[in-house]
Amino acid sequence: MGRPITRRKPGDLPVFLTIKTFGIKVNVNMKRLILFAIFFIVTNSILSQNDSIKNILDEVIVVADKRIAKNSKGYKITTLNDSILLKNTESFTSLLRFNSPIYLKEYGAGGTSTASFRGTSASNTAVVWNGININSINNGQTGFNSLTVSLFDQISIRSGGGSIEYGSGAIGGTIHLNDELKYQPKKTISNQFIASLGSFDTFNALHKFKMYADNFSLKIGFSYNQSQNDYKLLGTDYKNFNGAYKNLNINVSLGHRFSTLSQIKFYSTSYAAERFFSGELPNPTSANEKYKDYNNRNLLVYTYDDKKISHELKFGFLTQEYQYFEDKNSTEFNFGKSKRYITNYSFSYQLQELKAVVTSYSEYESIFGKTDQILEKNRRQFSQSILYNQNLANAVFFDAKIRKDFNSDYKVPLSFALGIKSKKINNLFVRANASKNYRVPTYNDLYWPGQGNTDLIPEIALQGEFGVVFKNNILSIDMSVFYINAENKIVWTPNGDPERPGIWTPINLTNTENKGIEVALNFKENFKNHFVDFNLTYGYTEAKNKETQTYLIFVPKHLLNNNLSYRYKKYGFFYEQLFTGKTFTTESNSKDFIVPSFYVANIGSYYKIYNYKEKQISIGFRVNNIFNELYVTQPRRPMPNRNFKLNINYKF
Amino acid sequence: MKINKLLSLLLLATILFASCEKDSVDLPKGDYENGVLISGEGSGAGTGSISFVSDDFVTSENLIYKTVNNEELGTFLQSMTFDNDNAYIVVDNQNTVTVADRYTFEKLGSINTGLILPRFIAVVGNKGYVTNWGSTSSDTDDFIAVVNLETYEVESTISVGNGPERIIENNGKLYVSHKGAYTTNNVISVIDIDSEEVIEITVKDNPDELFFNNLGELVVLSSGRTIYDTDWSVIGTTLASISMIDITSLEITNELVFAEGEQPSLMVFENGAIYYNIGNSVYVINESATSLSSTSIVETEGFLYGLEVEGDNLYTLDASFSDSSKLNIYSISSGSVSITKDVAIGASKIYFN
Repeated sequence: MGRPITRRKPGDLPVFLTIKTFGIKVNVNMKRLILFAIFFIVTNSILSQNDSIKNILDEVIVVADKRIAKNSKGYKITTLNDSILLKNTESFTSLLRFNSPIYLKEYGAGGTSTASFRGTSASNTAVVWNGININSINNGQTGFNSLTVSLFDQISIRSGGGSIEYGSGAIGGTIHLNDELKYQPKKTISNQFIASLGSFDTFNALHKFKMYADNFSLKIGFSYNQSQNDYKLLGTDYKNFNGAYKNLNINVSLGHRFSTLSQIKFYSTSYAAERFFSGELPNPTSANEKYKDYNNRNLLVYTYDDKKISHELKFGFLTQEYQYFEDKNSTEFNFGKSKRYITNYSFSYQLQELKAVVTSYSEYESIFGKTDQILEKNRRQFSQSILYNQNLANAVFFDAKIRKDFNSDYKVPLSFALGIKSKKINNLFVRANASKNYRVPTYNDLYWPGQGNTDLIPEIALQGEFGVVFKNNILSIDMSVFYINAENKIVWTPNGDPERPGIWTPINLTNTENKGIEVALNFKENFKNHFVDFNLTYGYTEAKNKETQTYLIFVPKHLLNNNLSYRYKKYGFFYEQLFTGKTFTTESNSKDFIVPSFYVANIGSYYKIYNYKEKQISIGFRVNNIFNELYVTQPRRPMPNRNFKLNINYKF
Repeated sequence: MKINKLLSLLLLATILFASCEKDSVDLPKGDYENGVLISGEGSGAGTGSISFVSDDFVTSENLIYKTVNNEELGTFLQSMTFDNDNAYIVVDNQNTVTVADRYTFEKLGSINTGLILPRFIAVVGNKGYVTNWGSTSSDTDDFIAVVNLETYEVESTISVGNGPERIIENNGKLYVSHKGAYTTNNVISVIDIDSEEVIEITVKDNPDELFFNNLGELVVLSSGRTIYDTDWSVIGTTLASISMIDITSLEITNELVFAEGEQPSLMVFENGAIYYNIGNSVYVINESATSLSSTSIVETEGFLYGLEVEGDNLYTLDASFSDSSKLNIYSISSGSVSITKDVAIGASKIYFN
């Protein structure tokens, strides 16, 4: 039987849409993948025996996406390396909440979770896997509790519009999940195993295997998480009901270089999860929903790179599937599925006399998406972008970018971006960027049965940012001001179609203006075996509807997080805290409907039992929410009370 | 001694006199007595809630249940039913019926097990009869929960057809409109309370509002159904009607059928007249009318989601699900708005307390 499409419970639908629509499926045959890996290893060992190119001595780190590092002049990038990722293995949401300037809205811990930069919407945050935007085709968002990230080597967070490189929707910023491969003269094999046990029957385990050689690199990772997640709902007699989850993730990355000039890389990740959606007060026991999701992503990259000219060819194949069970005991479910085929060719040419590089990116993408209620649609898009970056007299560095898309469904505006950065003088430099970005309507926006609106046009945003950066060996401070003007934002409303009052439909409705300040500070000092690392992020955001001059809902004015870590010989300690300002939940900013501000802090420590180069064992202890603070990020959904976690980290 | 005795006596007399005085005057039963209550479903923007507007329209207050009890009702608040001094508040996604004093709104208890997507409740003696849609995945598990209103427990259930919505009692029988939950239905169930025997009467598609008129007939509004093709494009609608049913013969004695494409959603009965809407237009006919009206009495603003009538006042709700809604009170004689108040998010129903 179908979903309700009458106006029975109008309030229900947008929430439902948000909840429903990310998902992914392991429909690539895992066996085939492993076979492929084996084939590669075998081929490689044969190859390496007669390999004539032995003149490669340097250790080289390669990533699938070079653009984030190369073409981000004038932008702020926050990098979370694997030591931070491994400190927080169970939740991507909480990792970002404590370590980035991003606001996360979570429907109870482990529930549906969305992220937004600088007061933009959740679908304006692009999640980029090895250079590919992986936001759901159905709702244009990524569910931040539908991803495990502990297997990645690095996460980069770039604030500011990024639609040129990373496609539609990246109006607020981009979050990059990167795998690193390494070539090094001496062949090494390393393993890392981490397991943790925590409150509410939480268990996580992960294993990473890495093999690096002269011209071959292999990385395999497994992770498994599960939790009953039945924390006490502070201030009530209830526990978090129906909140359990489990997920399994497998990552494989392979690289082989034929010479110093050319190489081939392959990345694959598969994820399968089952979650239950917890209930809310006053009666959490009414919760009865289940959600399963599967995803599989594969990317093959061939690179030829000499000093003057480089070519890169990429093929991507990505699938997603979700199954949503309104009644967990029933076998009936709603689903959404998508398949994406991506081909990308880039060419760059160095103009040595100008100290400039011109790059061309051409991409063709074909997406098939369907849900139980939307017949399969195929969206095809060809996009061409040109990037120019130049070093002007070693004083000013800039990137200029322009992109044009040709989409089978509608017209997409020309987008452009300019980033500029000055030379560092007395540890100071300035940076600035400006861009025009867009977000195309999602499949749900266009085709949701009886409610989608095929007349929608893309949202467009113009933005600018100016920052001053101080940086020396121990201290770095980045202060910036930003401005975003967004038009024709797509909003679901029951009055969307005057012909059919009461039917929720999306329309291009609001124009918004966001402005604010961001500060990022890092202090690192090492004296006599005492190592201190302190990070602080603060964001002040004023996001308003231009017509009504009221604040946008679910945008806190103040967002502050910081963490302090301290290391002495075999001992380590950290403290992290977060303050999130109050948010309004109604358009008129009624004081009756707010999510109050909150403060929450975590603490942890570890001890290295063994500490040799070949073998390291440490055990750690962590207390989340040490002050047992009652806080919510969504009304009527208290977040976890004080809880504990014990972990072991074994490297060999 | 004597004086002391006298004083005591005097004191006693004063107390007695004071208490006598208390008894003799009709004291207010609570802050929310003489006024209008508006229930709002709530949405992602905020909880389902109840607003109060005084009879003289001077004072109004939102979130009265939360103010009194310091807890939210949750979403989606479907309906409220009153019996003596109690209000029964039905919140469907919470599987809850909350019981409160209808004049003070102090919580008395709640029924939160045994209900699955509850919609409406009818109170008969010390029993409550709650319509439930049951699991969303099944249209054969819908039921009426029989609640013991002394223990607040579901004692038993009566299985009924898909999508039971409104429920009213008359002379030992329950009358239930089957709007069809997630899909569609076209029946009225008549349930004998003693024998629990269920008889179905077929009406036009998606029956919702129902009441008894002064002639003892059951009056039912069927909204009609929207028909989609396989690609979910709208290809038509089925006919809507106001049907009068003779409850002895269970036959439809009078059926006022709307023109094709017209989908009324609200109907109220006041003083021998039936008020109903088509979109934003409100019409009135006599309870024994044999045809529908062709001229509207009031054109309302916004998204008309709730309707009530008292005297010359037409109470309408312009519902918003992202913000507070509006209660607009129209003068029927002039057709224009006389009073406007900000009320609950997703405001859907009006009750005179």
